[in-house]
Order: sequence, then structure tokens, then C-alpha cells
Amino acid sequence: MSEWMKKSPLEWQDYVYKEVRVVASEKKEYKGWLVTTDPVSANIVLVTFLEDGSLSVTGVMGHSVQTVEVVSEGDHKVREKLMRLFTSVDCEGYSP
Amino acid sequence: NHHRSTEPPLEKPGERRQAEMKRLYGDSAPKILAMEAAVQMSFDKYCDKKQPKYWPVIPLKF
Amino acid sequence: KVPEVGGEGRIQDPPELQEQRARAALRERYLRSLLAMVGHPVSFTLHEGVHVTAQFGATDLDVANFYVSQLQTPIGVQAEALLRCSDIISYSFKL
Repeated sequence: MSEWMKKSPLEWQDYVYKEVRVVASEKKEYKGWLVTTDPVSANIVLVTFLEDGSLSVTGVMGHSVQTVEVVSEGDHKVREKLMRLFTSVDCEGYSP
Repeated sequence: NHHRSTEPPLEKPGERRQAEMKRLYGDSAPKILAMEAAVQMSFDKYCDKKQPKYWPVIPLKF
Repeated sequence: KVPEVGGEGRIQDPPELQEQRARAALRERYLRSLLAMVGHPVSFTLHEGVHVTAQFGATDLDVANFYVSQLQTPIGVQAEALLRCSDIISYSFKL
């Protein structure tokens, strides 16, 4: 089990809305803004802003994560954009 | 069914899981539980209807 | 001494409560990211240098399997399939 999977929710939360570089299995590398880490699977969700205004969302499986390094702390503008993400998804039928 | 093996035990339906969820998520437990149920229900529906096969047949990594 | 907590956690709350709140926020956001992926073409990077694309349908509770349709494999298209999370290194889609 990787170090990343053993972290606590509060430790994972420290990476939220920061720009990170993730090194995964088979020397794969990913860079983007970390939106969340699933506390069940330790899967990381990264977002990058593309030039055409759309977003690229990447999930890196927790079991394949080797290292996570903070590249940039981010700023309010990025943070606000990221906070709005995934909240507009239609969740009808998902509320209790 | 293979994809069902991770479901909580069937005795005492839901009870143990609810306590566990409360411990993990506190006051947000009912909300998370509802979202998870919806996600799992959608998955089960697809699997029952489509009977998908694993790809690749043999796992790439054990 | 005041512990430093990043993000939404309120420092005066007991640690269990802070942890529960952090876990719930992280989990909810993850589940929402899965919902956002439904119906989108997703490209998967698997182990052993295998790349496939498919339309994402659903995942099970513990994120152990991905149900996908129109899976484009190196040897053809499979109408529906289950991908094992243990085979996957990463997945990505556009929003």
C-alpha cells in the first residue's frame, strides 16, 4: 500500500485546490489542480484548464499513486472556479 | 455475482453500515449514504440488464 | 497552541469532527465527479501500456469496477464491459 493511501482525510484536504504533480505507476506523471481525493479509494481528481475554455478532468487511481508534490498554492480566482465545479451537476434523486 | 462481493453483509440489513457511516461521516452520513445508494443502484441496473464481461478477461495486474 | 488546519475545517472543533467533515466533503466531491463523468467519452490508461476509450456508465460503491459501453480496445469494439480499477492507472475526460 502506498504512502498516499495511508493518509488521513485532513492530510488529503491540505492538497485540495492546490496545483500538484502526481507520479503514478509505470512512470506516468500528471499535473493539475487537485479537486478532491476519494477517502474510500484514495483516487485523486485533477483538473486542468484548457485553452478553448473547457476542462480536462483526470482521475489517478489511489493504488497507483507514488508521490504527490505541491507545485503551486493557487489563488482565489482558481479556487473559486474549482469550488463551483461539480456542484452544478444534476443531482435530482440523490438527495435523501 | 462477482461485482456484488463488496456489498455489506446481509444480516442486520443496513444497520451496521449506518453505524459505520455515522462514524466516518458524522452528520453528513445520510447524505453520503443516499448518494452512494444512487451510484450503486445505477451500477447494478446496468449489470443486471447488460451482463457486461470483464475487459481484459485476465487482470493486467494482480 | 492552535493547530493549523487548511480549508474548511474550523479549528475549535474536536479532531474527530474535523476529520468527519473533511472526509464527507472529499467523498461528496468525488461522487459528484463520477456523476459528472456519466455519458462522457473517457480515456483510460491501464497497466502494461494499454490505452482504451469508452463511454462511462457507472461505478460500484467502492469504486472497484467501472461499467462502460462502446469500449474501443486494440482488438475491436466491445458493446459493454467492466473495467477493473486494479487494471487502471488513470482516466480522463473533458467537461
